[in-house]
Amino acid sequence: MGGKIRVLIAKPGLDGHDRGAKVVARALRDAGMEVIYTGLRQSPEDIVSAAIQEDVQFIGLSILSGAHGHIFPRVLELLKEQGASDIKLIAGGIIPDDEIPKWKEMGVTGIFGPGSSTVDIVDFIRAQSGA
Amino acid sequence: MLADQPQRAAARLLSWIEDEDPRAVAALQATWSRTGNGYVIGVTGPPGAGKSTLVDCLAVHAAAQGHTVGVLAVDPTSPFSGGAVLGDRLRMNGAQQQGVFIRSVATRGHLGGLTATTRYLVNALELLGCDLVFVETVGAGQGDVEVVQLADTTVVVEVPGLGDEVQAQKAGILEIGDLLLVNKSDRPGADRLAQELLSAVELGEPRDWQPPVLQVTAIEGTGIDAAWDAIADHRVHMEAGPLADDRLARQMRELEQQLQQQLFRDRMVTIGDDALRSAAERVLARRSDPFSAINRLAN
Repeated sequence: MGGKIRVLIAKPGLDGHDRGAKVVARALRDAGMEVIYTGLRQSPEDIVSAAIQEDVQFIGLSILSGAHGHIFPRVLELLKEQGASDIKLIAGGIIPDDEIPKWKEMGVTGIFGPGSSTVDIVDFIRAQSGA
Repeated sequence: MLADQPQRAAARLLSWIEDEDPRAVAALQATWSRTGNGYVIGVTGPPGAGKSTLVDCLAVHAAAQGHTVGVLAVDPTSPFSGGAVLGDRLRMNGAQQQGVFIRSVATRGHLGGLTATTRYLVNALELLGCDLVFVETVGAGQGDVEVVQLADTTVVVEVPGLGDEVQAQKAGILEIGDLLLVNKSDRPGADRLAQELLSAVELGEPRDWQPPVLQVTAIEGTGIDAAWDAIADHRVHMEAGPLADDRLARQMRELEQQLQQQLFRDRMVTIGDDALRSAAERVLARRSDPFSAINRLAN
């Protein structure tokens, strides 16, 4: 392909702690990727519609409020409805360890909790993009 | 190509154009007769002037008037990593809710305020049915006037509080703005800035179109109706005459620039690295001067 890796970073739900999302956005930028940063309080509909318009390969969601139980399934469902299931969903924030296998099975490609290294996130995205 | 998913198809075409993928050329060749029906509004101004917020307001306003609106929002690529954080979308929630197609575009090393392929990105949005396309430049300095080459109407956004910088920029700005907007007009100094801009416009040679100077506060939606009306007035003025000539001149320049690049690339391949190297060696050894060497290579 040779195209740029493009990633949408969003913070769905009502918590305002966007430090993690910003740190990841910056790390991906420094790794040569194009990051579309959409900010706080995005609905799953906003996120999927933006991801399609921006033709990203990845959506990165940061959720610290516990709302992921609602948001992950909704985003995956909307991607499917729009014929965009090739866009991979990656998540960070507070996701309980014992839930991780469930979400991965449902279609969340990668989950990076507190303490994850940005190097690992960059490597993961590169590997997943086939670049 | 993904006929049942026009947004995805358009988004993918935009990526191909940006990536200079050969499939973009094929797609544009096949669809060229269906492009060209969009009116392009360029929005430029210094970083932090509120361009994205203003584009959001104008796009919402235009969509409410029945236009199918597209937005291209350009942000800079890091010269070090080649990556970018594209944040214009943050300020465009209103337009997003109205179904406006918004695309964040990184400059990828291109200077001048836009990108090397913005012209064709507009065409891709036209294929999606957009009859109005806003092109927001990177935060622009004095030399970033490339938007004029693309836009049918150019809006220059200024803000109070930049002091002497504004003075310094006036010459460039007044040349390219069809409409001058003083944003953040709730701040001190806005009236004075508007007055200064107006008197500078009036000092210039009288033109067919005198750029109006208007005050807005985009974050509150104040002054947007008047700004939109001024854009509409300029469009009427352009379409009554100058637009056809203007577009022809711009298309000629566009073709000339691309032809130049292609001829240059072809010629460099013909000349070849070996000839270039031996010419450089002769020049360094003082066996030839650079002017004669260039003449020899070029002929």
